[in-house]
Amino acid sequence: MEIVVFTKRVPVTQEEELRILGDGQSVNLSKLPFRMNDWDNYAVEEAVKIVEKGGGGVTGIAIGDKEADEVLRRAIAMGAKDGILLETEAAPHDPFARAMLAYNFLKKENISFDAIFTGVQAEDDQFAAFGGILAALLKAPFAAQVIGTDTVEKDHLVVRRELEGGLQERVRVSLPCVLSIQSGINEPRYVSIMGVRKASKVERKVLKAAAYAEDAKSLIEVTQWVYPPKKEGAAMITGDVGEVCGKLLGILKEKGVYQ
Amino acid sequence: MSDGLSDGYVLVVAEVRRGLFEERNLDTIGLGKFMQKPVCLLLPEKVSGVDHTTIGKVIKAETEEGNFQNPLTMVSILGKVFESYGRPEYVLFTHSSSGAECAAYAAGSFALPLITDVNGWDRDTGTFFKSYYSDKVFAQCKAAAQPSILTVRSGSFREQVTREASEAAVESIGAFAATEGRAFVEYVEEAGGAVDITKADFLLSVGRGIGSKDEIPRFEELAQAMRAVLSCSRPVVDKLWLPKERQVGTSGKTVKPKVYLAMAISGAFQHIAGMKDADCIIAVNKDPEAPIFQYAHFGIVGDVNKMRDKLLELAKNA
Repeated sequence: MEIVVFTKRVPVTQEEELRILGDGQSVNLSKLPFRMNDWDNYAVEEAVKIVEKGGGGVTGIAIGDKEADEVLRRAIAMGAKDGILLETEAAPHDPFARAMLAYNFLKKENISFDAIFTGVQAEDDQFAAFGGILAALLKAPFAAQVIGTDTVEKDHLVVRRELEGGLQERVRVSLPCVLSIQSGINEPRYVSIMGVRKASKVERKVLKAAAYAEDAKSLIEVTQWVYPPKKEGAAMITGDVGEVCGKLLGILKEKGVYQ
Repeated sequence: MSDGLSDGYVLVVAEVRRGLFEERNLDTIGLGKFMQKPVCLLLPEKVSGVDHTTIGKVIKAETEEGNFQNPLTMVSILGKVFESYGRPEYVLFTHSSSGAECAAYAAGSFALPLITDVNGWDRDTGTFFKSYYSDKVFAQCKAAAQPSILTVRSGSFREQVTREASEAAVESIGAFAATEGRAFVEYVEEAGGAVDITKADFLLSVGRGIGSKDEIPRFEELAQAMRAVLSCSRPVVDKLWLPKERQVGTSGKTVKPKVYLAMAISGAFQHIAGMKDADCIIAVNKDPEAPIFQYAHFGIVGDVNKMRDKLLELAKNA
């Protein structure tokens, strides 16, 4: 199978304080570390596992600035055969515009594929939409939140989709198709610094995204950035580690769960 | 065009699972009501648990649930609804596995604007609030065209649901067959494990912030010393540090213990949804901005592993 995986370079914000700039006009991401979107790790791993077993190749694609090459190197280090960067200083934020750009690229460059994988969502914008929009533009079948690829055949896949509350749905999808891959589907392989260095010797194509911008216009706009409304919030317990632990055990006793 | 639907109606696409109308649908209905628009509910053939007094009109697509929750079929159904009743102002889906899947596919098929994970609406500007960066900031988003498609975060608008003067009329828009490209096969229940975290009075729950799998045995020891049951957030299961049966959240278990002690869990909304009804939530996190402090009754900013060791020492000497 030939599998194309769209990957994204995202800021790591979990333990960072984010500041909104200029009266709500932007979010300051300048001091943050960046890395491959976590869900895309699982998508690349699943694609590589499938071709390792049944033959074929994996191509990593990223839309972004020069720095986004970092995620292509990582994808190659994980087992992708090559990578393509659709280079732009201002990657569209709107998932429709991003998907249209990807669609135009696939058509114009005549990229053939049996399947396209993406992560379920990107850590930064959490849209969970790029894969579904791209599938619809390609008029290809789509399955989101894939947590297992049970059967891989020449003309179809049988996959398990994660639903809610521990329930899954098994569906049969014809090829070529688009899947969004859920975290936890596999165990992404460890990538060493040496591995990435070796991967950087594999040539990555760089194409100007502007060549594929036709109809790739944003259908939504962000008018303002705001902080989430504050709720009442927690009563904060302060002190040194011994004090806070003592107070914590006190609360547990009071609630009757600890003697 | 059929009567009964004015310009500017809101089409709510129901999420139905194993014949049941999911509670999350109250948030999509609630958003339609909050915007003071006529709400039209789209349902599959077989569904129970719908309160027909809360909506203006019901449209039934004569098709099985497995087809209805299939994005390829859903696009055919929506095309027929648009043709029969005119295009709505908004098409609302739940922000769930199937809701988000169908919403994105519909946005691509009809080239319509899409805003996902909507958790608020500003009446003055007509903008929708959407979470970014794990709930650290929200964007106010505006669609450039109508209709626009939204997915709505569970728990955001259900209190806006009101009753209508009468029960909604039900109209059928015909039958829809399974598609060639994708077919429903079956539902699969994840295998149950030895531990049922939903039965525990006291949960000690750990997140990825504990650092590595090597830390787990010490937390197990602490849980045992405090007579708590060990549970966790999704990343801990994804990383295979703990089995799936221990996972709290939308895709795991919903729990309601007397005390929920969350250590190194930042509080993604999917996690919050699974534990927010605990009697007492205590959060320990090194990030003072972690969203979980908004939902916790008690909060401690600090190094969780140091606190764990101290708690263990105190609990053992008690």
